[in-house]
Amino acid sequence: MIIGTAKESYRADAALLTTRPQQVWTAILLAVLTTLPFVLNDYWLYLTCLLTINVIAATGLNILTGFTGQVSLGQAAFMAVGAYTVAWLEREAGTPFLLNLVLGGGVSAALGIVVGIPSLRVKGLYLAIATIAASFILHFVFVHWESVTGGNTGINVAPARFFGVELTTYFGLYWVIMPVTVLMVLGAANLFRTRIGRAFIAIRDRDISAEVLGIPLLKYKLMSFAIASFYAGVAGGLWAYFFRVVTPESFPFMASVFLLAAIIVGGMGTIIGGIVGAAFMTLTPELLRFVVEWLGPWVPNAATLLSPVRTIVFGALIIGFLVFEPQGLAEIIQRVRRFFRLWPFKT
Amino acid sequence: MFKTTRRATLALLAGATALSLSLTPARAADNDIVIGGSLPLTGVFAFAGLAIEAGMQDYIKIVNDAGGIDGRMVRMAYEDTGYKVDQSVAVYNKLTSQDEIHLYYGDSTGFAKTIAPELARTGEMIMGGASFASELNNPEAYPYTFMAGPDYSEMVGILLEYIAKETPGAKIVLVNSDTEFGRDPIEPTRARAAELGLSIVEEIITPPGAADVSTEVLKLRRARPDYTIFHGYVLSPLQEFMSQSRELGLKTKFMGTFWSMDSSIWNTVGDPADGFMGVMPYRYYYDDAADAPMLAKIREMRPDYQATGYMQGFLSAMLMVESAKRVLANGEELNGKTLKAAMNTIEDFDTGGIMGLPISVPGNSVPVGRVYQYNAGAGQMEPVSDWISLQE
Repeated sequence: MIIGTAKESYRADAALLTTRPQQVWTAILLAVLTTLPFVLNDYWLYLTCLLTINVIAATGLNILTGFTGQVSLGQAAFMAVGAYTVAWLEREAGTPFLLNLVLGGGVSAALGIVVGIPSLRVKGLYLAIATIAASFILHFVFVHWESVTGGNTGINVAPARFFGVELTTYFGLYWVIMPVTVLMVLGAANLFRTRIGRAFIAIRDRDISAEVLGIPLLKYKLMSFAIASFYAGVAGGLWAYFFRVVTPESFPFMASVFLLAAIIVGGMGTIIGGIVGAAFMTLTPELLRFVVEWLGPWVPNAATLLSPVRTIVFGALIIGFLVFEPQGLAEIIQRVRRFFRLWPFKT
Repeated sequence: MFKTTRRATLALLAGATALSLSLTPARAADNDIVIGGSLPLTGVFAFAGLAIEAGMQDYIKIVNDAGGIDGRMVRMAYEDTGYKVDQSVAVYNKLTSQDEIHLYYGDSTGFAKTIAPELARTGEMIMGGASFASELNNPEAYPYTFMAGPDYSEMVGILLEYIAKETPGAKIVLVNSDTEFGRDPIEPTRARAAELGLSIVEEIITPPGAADVSTEVLKLRRARPDYTIFHGYVLSPLQEFMSQSRELGLKTKFMGTFWSMDSSIWNTVGDPADGFMGVMPYRYYYDDAADAPMLAKIREMRPDYQATGYMQGFLSAMLMVESAKRVLANGEELNGKTLKAAMNTIEDFDTGGIMGLPISVPGNSVPVGRVYQYNAGAGQMEPVSDWISLQE
């Protein structure tokens, strides 16, 4: 049982990992992440990579929606911008892929600022509609700016190269995707130890009060949009290298809804929420496959008959979590932590 | 007494998940030849996925009842994708890590394009699928892909061939959906129409889910075409186009391509659908032509009507099995290269009447089809042309 953590300096108080168990668990997590590609087969490795890409995008959206309170349904469109930028750079300029990723994030961030401008006048659902509009405009551009985007056919992306090695297998790609994800998540966690992050939270809680406190709304709202779009752009860039083809249909509007659902289910306004939310949304449909498969011996033609059931169960699970845990999966994790912290006493 | 607390429920859920994961049947390394499949059993394309699955399973049953390939049984391993590319890839990875797979059925153009580099890298299999995208009909860029029919440009090509014969110099309007699927054949259609002396007087692009087509119908009225060719839709908004044009007294004939040619979808429209024409690479379920013994067999196996997707799946499985047969007969190993080479040796092959001509697969497609017309009274599609082959 930990009864308290005595801090002797402001530095210690603001540290990312404040307790011993936290440090130990983080070390264990990093060790697991390093060994994963050696134990998982291609299927699980594929899912892990897809999941981590979603984690980046969801974390970005969480910064914007969960921490700054600006509802956005355009995150997938920003992923598309990043993906197209990377694909175009790979085709036309042949620049190194890490640079491409950063530029993909940069272009996406620049567009994010433009799309974020309405947020100065509209809030909540109205802003959500404005971002939907932006994503449809971007979709139109992807289809019709053929010289750059390749129109409906899209762009085939050459594999990422790292010191002359082509990253074509999931094993190879994991070593790029995972470190980038860890870096991005760490960045997001650190952001909320700074003035910028705290300004975001102040804007979410009451924008007028924030302005009275001396936080320029224009600057910080747009900054939040830029950061969220940067995350989406990098995620989209990784997506491009992962799937190797980018078309206007790669990032449908539903992908934005998927990401918003991920942070709501995971827990808005917590870093861990973005991670577990993305994990839940990506992995649950796949885990349900195993349930279908497991029922196979008892139900003839299980895959055909039970696939619709799988979709329904997935939906029901989301509703279930929202009803029983409105704070998201992150809250469940917090509760488990509290339980062990106070064990053997009751929470 | 067991109390249902939140904790207990969660523990139960976790337990169930762990149990289902641990009980996943570990498949023994058997001698079966496995056909893998990323099939859309839910979502917008589920109607096709279910039909395709039935068709493939039936052909596999016929093969196994006859003793399999060289004594080896054929089995299908497939899972639902919801018609989403990331899930199709997940299914591909799942199935390939569970079984040794050399034959695969993919559900969309997006998936075929996404997985192509992986197919080239592993060189383990050939892949057919529900996509007839012209882009895939390129043996150099997509060496391990095939389609069990003409590609979309060839489908429209077959229609143009028919039009040129029936009404030389006819005026045509193209209506395409604003998707990759819809825009696919536009360029080659322009070129082919010019060659055949047909004039394309208007090109209309509609959003994929368009319900209100009144402005498009006015364009149609201004253009006064002899034929209007739709591509990139399944049903909607074709029926709106047809009923509105009829009200305006337009005499144009409406045509479509494979995915909008199932007669059961037109049965739901009824009378306004009468006279709708289109290209179909396979015979219909109810076709009782004398040279189609396979259809009699299908009717025996399935007493109810089977959709066009069924025939597509059936023929896809047939081409896959035939290729595997030829590879094994040569004493070669099953892989992408040998299977594709064997498929390309298929020449004047009798499909049992699924296609009306003996077929050859020199490249990635089988450019054969026939023009049918919907008869609302009978609720059936009736042939109005002979079988047209674009080979030679």
